[in-house]
Amino acid sequence: MAPLTRRRFLGAAGAGAAGLGIVGAGGYLLGQEAADASGEGTGSVAFYGEHQAGIDTPAQDRLHFAAFDLLSEDPAELRELLREWTVAAAEMTAGEMVGNVNDVPLAPPDDTGETVGLLPSSLTVTFGFGPGLFEKPGLGLAGRRPAALKPLPPLPGDELDPAESSGDVCVQACSDDPQVAFHAVRNLARIGRGTVAMRWSQLGFGRTSTTSRSQDTPRNLMGMKDGTANIKAEDAEAMDRFVWVGGEGPGWMRGGSYMVTRRIRMLLEVWDRASLQDQERTIGRHKYSGAPLGGSDEFEPLPLDARQNGHPVIPGDSHVRLASAKENDGARILRRGYSFTDGVDESLGELEAGLFFICFQRDPEKQFVPIQQRLGSIDALNEYIKHVGSALFAVPPGAQPGGYVGEGLL
Amino acid sequence: MNLKMLCAGATLLLVLFATACGSSEDSPPGAKKLSFELTDEGCLPHQASAPAGPITFEAENTGSSKVTEIEVMEGDTILGEKENLSDGLSGSFSLTLDAGEYAIYCPGGDVEKGTLTVTGESKAKASPKADAAVAHYRRFLEGNAEELVAKTEPFVAAVVAGEVAEAKSLYASARAPYERIEPVAESFGDLDPRIDARENDVPASEFEGFHRIEKALWLEEGQMEVDVDMAPTAKQLQKDVEELAGKVETVELRAVQIANGAVELLGEVSASKITGEEERYSHTDLFDFQANVEGAEAAFDAVRPLLDETDPTLADEIDADINAVFVELEPYRRGDGFVPYTELTKADTRKLARSIDTLAEKMSQVPAAIAEGEHA
Repeated sequence: MAPLTRRRFLGAAGAGAAGLGIVGAGGYLLGQEAADASGEGTGSVAFYGEHQAGIDTPAQDRLHFAAFDLLSEDPAELRELLREWTVAAAEMTAGEMVGNVNDVPLAPPDDTGETVGLLPSSLTVTFGFGPGLFEKPGLGLAGRRPAALKPLPPLPGDELDPAESSGDVCVQACSDDPQVAFHAVRNLARIGRGTVAMRWSQLGFGRTSTTSRSQDTPRNLMGMKDGTANIKAEDAEAMDRFVWVGGEGPGWMRGGSYMVTRRIRMLLEVWDRASLQDQERTIGRHKYSGAPLGGSDEFEPLPLDARQNGHPVIPGDSHVRLASAKENDGARILRRGYSFTDGVDESLGELEAGLFFICFQRDPEKQFVPIQQRLGSIDALNEYIKHVGSALFAVPPGAQPGGYVGEGLL
Repeated sequence: MNLKMLCAGATLLLVLFATACGSSEDSPPGAKKLSFELTDEGCLPHQASAPAGPITFEAENTGSSKVTEIEVMEGDTILGEKENLSDGLSGSFSLTLDAGEYAIYCPGGDVEKGTLTVTGESKAKASPKADAAVAHYRRFLEGNAEELVAKTEPFVAAVVAGEVAEAKSLYASARAPYERIEPVAESFGDLDPRIDARENDVPASEFEGFHRIEKALWLEEGQMEVDVDMAPTAKQLQKDVEELAGKVETVELRAVQIANGAVELLGEVSASKITGEEERYSHTDLFDFQANVEGAEAAFDAVRPLLDETDPTLADEIDADINAVFVELEPYRRGDGFVPYTELTKADTRKLARSIDTLAEKMSQVPAAIAEGEHA
């Protein structure tokens, strides 16, 4: 069967009257082609390419992230999984239904169906491999582990829960429609059943970074603009220098990147009681304009050397100073995080919410790790946050049609 | 038994009888439409007929407070229904029916039962392999129904005699045969809730059967005289399982239904056994877990020759996955039975759930894979 676009699938039945009831074969395939899918936030991002999508793609509004444990140590099974995942991800990215069996009355449909009628919504699906994958004797990958994929060292301020950390394989699904992102993770988990088991997953309801000059800077849950100084995808030189793996290899990672995720719980109740001045000095920026302290424009350079009354204008323990490239021997990272909330913290009765931090870089040991070592030790922000989850993944380069993500490794 | 299934009697049947009746909320193309009015008199008209094939039943309550429900039944089996149609409301459902006599049942009306005559071709003939599958499963079904009767007897006797410890020790094994054949047992109207309803599944006054006695034995022992207070419930339970055993002998089965039953049993494990919800007082959930999987295995074994013709690889995978489930269960055996559910950690239940999900995902492919081979 030719791939069904989700809009076309709905077809003649019409979204309104008959709902999504799919009964018997026939009529419903004959409908009109989908409405124009090129609208803002609803279009389709190419899945195949030099790099995996979802890194330099302008950050979408929603995230569903999942980390999986590998249950099988049979390399053939892992290859088959990645092949199937690649095909399904390409289908979903294009706004098509997953699989071929979607209208056999006696069979469960391949596609779980909740995106029927929805546009592709800029879905990207990004796959990564955790250090654990290289430690499974049966896979025989021990010798192929990239030097940069070292488990992160213990970092100051870590309060990590192993149940919300690490993983052998990961899926980052980003979309402008939360249901489209959820659908991607759900269907990939279903395809992987028996080969992988979901270890933890995280929904992100709002982007906290901008990765393109075409986007406005969003605010995080502290009400601060986040990601002003982020690397922008348009800056090809910075992307090559800080994000894409180059000649340092290994070959199968060239054009890929390394992803660090940190589940950062924000103590919002405490933050909300801090005075405006304290909040601004903690970050080093004005809350509403996003401008550096003492400045008026969000994008003016940080006056790291400026002093007033003998004190630095941007405090020594402020977040922007400690995170700045200048203070980190020029090291930068591409941030792509999302705000989350997961109900109520059982022991405190407070909002369980914060930032699901995601960053991409060429070498975590030279980029994320030293930056976080400084931040974790002296950042004024530490009073208001806890790092409770952590993971590291090698994100291989993109696949070509007919191939699959991770082919170079396996 | 779970709440959702009880509330939507038609839906649970739908799982089992999906092939027999193809019930659905939407009208399939080309369906014959039959319209009924729900009135105090009952459903009008009382007599209806239609050709075999897809039929859409449209019902409208035109001013009755007594009749709010319409069911299509074949013997004691509900094939499809629309509930909660109070005054002014209308609704519809569709069934694919073979030639024969059916009842239109509208409880509460002056005339509760009308007749639906479906004319035309009788049902397609089953293939020899499908017949063999049905015969194979029928042996299993009847064997378990007999075992249920036999094992319920000493359990009931112990309850009636007030021998609480003895009754407790017999409880889980008396239930196991029921759990093995649950999808079929559930198709007999209110027999399943009478035998197997959990507290809150039914109004408090109708809470009876195994789980009522379970609550008395494990939770209320000091507060009641078990022999006196539970004797009527226990005796009724014995009658109910005997009625069930009589009914399974006449139940019509088809190979695809049997395969659907296997899927449904694994769904039961996921929904209420791994979660410890089924046996909330005795914590004997792992006995039910095992029995559900044994039931699924028997159903699978019955239809396997059909599956071997179309997808032997899938058949082998399912075989391996069934074994994997039993291997996962092994560490929790104690004596003749299992450790109480309360001794399982989250990591334990997660591993068990994973093995069931892996198996169930593949099992769900079986009904469609054997459908073609079902007919001669």
